[in-house]
Amino acid sequence: MFLKVLGSIIVLLSSSFLGYILSRDCSKRPQQLRSLQNLLQMFENQISYSSDVLAEVFERISRAGGETGIFFRTTVDLLKDGSAANASEAWEKAVRKCIGRTALKRDDEQILLSFGKSLGNTDLEGQIKNIRLSLGQLALQVEKAEENRKKNESMYKSLGVLGGLALVIILI
Amino acid sequence: MCALSHKSGQSLIIISKQARTSNVPEPEYDRCGEPAMKENSDGKLSVKTMSSLRKDILPMISGRVAAAISGALIYGLEPLEEIRLRAEKPLVLQNWSREWFIGSDGLPSAKPAGSFIVTQEDIRTTLELMSENSIYAYQDEIKNGFITIRGGHRVGIAGRAVLDGESIKNIKDISGLNIRISNQIFGCSSKVLKYLIKNAADIYNTLIISPPQCGKTTILRDIARNISNGVPELGFKGVKVAIVDERSEIAAMLRGVPQNDVGLRTDVLDGCPKSIGMKMMIRSMSPKVIITDEIGNDGDREAVHSVLNAGIRIITTAHGYNISELKSRREVLMLLEDKVFERYIVLDDSDGPGTLSEVVDGTDMRVIWGSGRHVS
Repeated sequence: MFLKVLGSIIVLLSSSFLGYILSRDCSKRPQQLRSLQNLLQMFENQISYSSDVLAEVFERISRAGGETGIFFRTTVDLLKDGSAANASEAWEKAVRKCIGRTALKRDDEQILLSFGKSLGNTDLEGQIKNIRLSLGQLALQVEKAEENRKKNESMYKSLGVLGGLALVIILI
Repeated sequence: MCALSHKSGQSLIIISKQARTSNVPEPEYDRCGEPAMKENSDGKLSVKTMSSLRKDILPMISGRVAAAISGALIYGLEPLEEIRLRAEKPLVLQNWSREWFIGSDGLPSAKPAGSFIVTQEDIRTTLELMSENSIYAYQDEIKNGFITIRGGHRVGIAGRAVLDGESIKNIKDISGLNIRISNQIFGCSSKVLKYLIKNAADIYNTLIISPPQCGKTTILRDIARNISNGVPELGFKGVKVAIVDERSEIAAMLRGVPQNDVGLRTDVLDGCPKSIGMKMMIRSMSPKVIITDEIGNDGDREAVHSVLNAGIRIITTAHGYNISELKSRREVLMLLEDKVFERYIVLDDSDGPGTLSEVVDGTDMRVIWGSGRHVS
């Protein structure tokens, strides 16, 4: 009897934990999208008020920016080791290479890729327009991701607990 | 005659071959941190040409074009003066003797027919590379029609101007780039220096007169470096020098760092109109000598006088073939009449750029050195 109780508790705990982890993954995507928005905003500010070159600005951004800073970091690295001819190529490569390491989805990738198209190769006005466009698109993605999160987060959590309970009942 | 003709020795040619095979700029070539002037065994000052074509310029040019250039360089075209990229037109390399095209076989050729053609894409890529992928950061420079790249080389830009009211906001649809290679020639002023130096800590007010492309600015830069560092061979101690670099050609500042060596006691005011800049430097940097290029605009005379009134020496240049030609220019004529300059140094290119033609004492118009071609 004692073993049965212990086993049920373990099953219940682990399934709830599984649910918790899945729900946490849901909130990761909106989080990363938001941090990406912040980084792009930072990029805009930096190029408007200091005329530093792209590599310098990206390096500073990558130091500030958590998980999504990796795109900026990789772009700089690719530019420095000469494996990309220009900034837009480096950005494209960086996005394709690192998207798997983030919680971002295919739609988000498309936005990032189109952001890279005119990276560094227009005047300030063009750069800012490009950044604003991407920021707007990201904002929409954040909304969608947020909705998704609300739906799925609680679902995964309760599914974890209830699934655990069901399993316990069946086993007993 | 003081010929500053450039030496292109054997070693240089070997390096070019490496550059061709590997297509990577040779790191050991160019710009060593050696002292600018060294004494030869016979006690004369040596002349050293330094240009950083492979290190600074070729990596900034679109790969296809850079490969063609470095391939053609093997055939002893150096030192180059200009590289011209025009959209859908042949690539042109200009050296001291003539202009060269690059034939379909990769050899330098004198005829444009069938030679290497630059595409619009090449120009775009080149500009991206030159601005370090940050055209937005170079917008102010592009607006003025040129950018300065590392090494002090200037790249002129032609294209379609975008206007914002009266002023130019940007240049787009870039159709032509002119890369002017700045060759620093260390020691090229050594023949001239002894006529400039009055005593251990003082120099004469000097006007350098030269036709275009005869090394005016190059010599002016070397003078600046020498009087700033001091010339032990002539017993001259270094003095504080201020350069007013209106066209960013003397020091070639890039983000606050002079790309050309202009001496250790030198301050540079970059991109400032001469007449304003000279007055500013008098107040702000307390120099002993002010150096500026191409005098002769309105207001320059007044500025020169305020320099002299402050007890500061001036060294400057003027376009012209001889002293009498300068008299047709009002602002310069007045300076001549005021007997502002104690030395006139006339250059020509009869024996390569920077050939010293004559030196004239400005106080009594006596020819101190030279061919006597001068008409007073």
